[in-house]
Amino acid sequence: MLRRYIPIGGQALKVSHVLLVLGRMLLGAVFLYAAYSKLRQPSYILFAMAIHSYQLAPEWAELGLARALPWLELALGLALLSGIFLRYTAATASVLLAIFFGVMTRSYLAGQQINCGCFGIGEALSPRTLARDGALLAVSFAVTVGAFLVERQHGNSSTAISQARSAHTALE
Amino acid sequence: MICRKTDSKTFLLFLFAILLVSGPGRAAVAATRQTAAKAGERKAGSRSTTAKASASKTNKALATEQAGPPNKTMGSRSAPITIEVFSDYQCPACRVFYQETLRPLMDDYVATGKVLLIHRDFPLPIHQYSRQAARLVNAAAKIGKFEKAEQALYARQDSWEKDGNLSGALAAVLTPAELAHVTQVAESGKMDTFIESDVSLGNSKQVHQTPSLFLTHAGQTDALPPGGVSYSLLKRYLDQLLAQ
Repeated sequence: MLRRYIPIGGQALKVSHVLLVLGRMLLGAVFLYAAYSKLRQPSYILFAMAIHSYQLAPEWAELGLARALPWLELALGLALLSGIFLRYTAATASVLLAIFFGVMTRSYLAGQQINCGCFGIGEALSPRTLARDGALLAVSFAVTVGAFLVERQHGNSSTAISQARSAHTALE
Repeated sequence: MICRKTDSKTFLLFLFAILLVSGPGRAAVAATRQTAAKAGERKAGSRSTTAKASASKTNKALATEQAGPPNKTMGSRSAPITIEVFSDYQCPACRVFYQETLRPLMDDYVATGKVLLIHRDFPLPIHQYSRQAARLVNAAAKIGKFEKAEQALYARQDSWEKDGNLSGALAAVLTPAELAHVTQVAESGKMDTFIESDVSLGNSKQVHQTPSLFLTHAGQTDALPPGGVSYSLLKRYLDQLLAQ
């Protein structure tokens, strides 16, 4: 598994693969912390209150989201840290972060003085939180692209090896 | 090597499992319906706010002016849950929160001894009349008229925030004698100490905006999202805590 994502090759390739690993580690840690900060609250209803302040969804949806989102973040965090299903987990993380970024930007531009809700309760929505989410989105997007490129590269190598083996067998 | 098709199928199954584990919204839908039904009942039985006091009652109120800090608490001191609200009388979000969340909370939980509600003043510098409003409400609280004064100021916020006529708003719930006394106490500057005490407490609790809420239950204090919370979510949370 590790060899798949950190293959030995040219210097540039090695650097990009190290960055890919660092990127997914960073994202994984952030998602784990986000999940932890929400799950440690005495009740999911507190997170539902934070979601409610965005005024985007009916109450049943806020409650459903408040229950599901921390577990999804936990699963994504673990998957990103371990590197399993990297293309899909990174793509899911990118979509999730893009939604967060869109919703937060909309609320900020609308002048809503609300809580971010990113890591539990207590952090106001501000340019700082927007910049942080934007940076995470950029990292997540880069990891997603990187994961797909690595997979394609790996696929090409496998095809070339099997073609060479076929040719060798034919010659024999 | 991991097969791509297996990869995507396994991942989708993985996501599906997470959704099943968290069970979003199932119980929520039923409970939302319950809350809506109760809200209808509550509206039907909402309290009246008549402020006709006889002269004897006025004299009694003035005579029983409390020593020490004004009492801005509502409910039983032995209530299992305490909610502290930092608010600003000129803040529109505080008015909405007061009218849509705190009033029903007072009827359903404070009056029944389940919640002790504590008001804390946190006048924001951006609001021209909020400090004066806080002084007047503190002075009214000294003669036991806190709830009426608070309610009157929020109800007429649209009017007094334009011209600063706070006395006009309070005249609806205080007798002329009470109003004169409250105005005199407010203008004396004696209430500033109590307001500053609340502001300092708010600063120590990292309050940056109003309304900000803190809920204490079983010795543990948690901040609720600032800017106001919906009554139905708060009610759901209180019921959950009370059921523990």
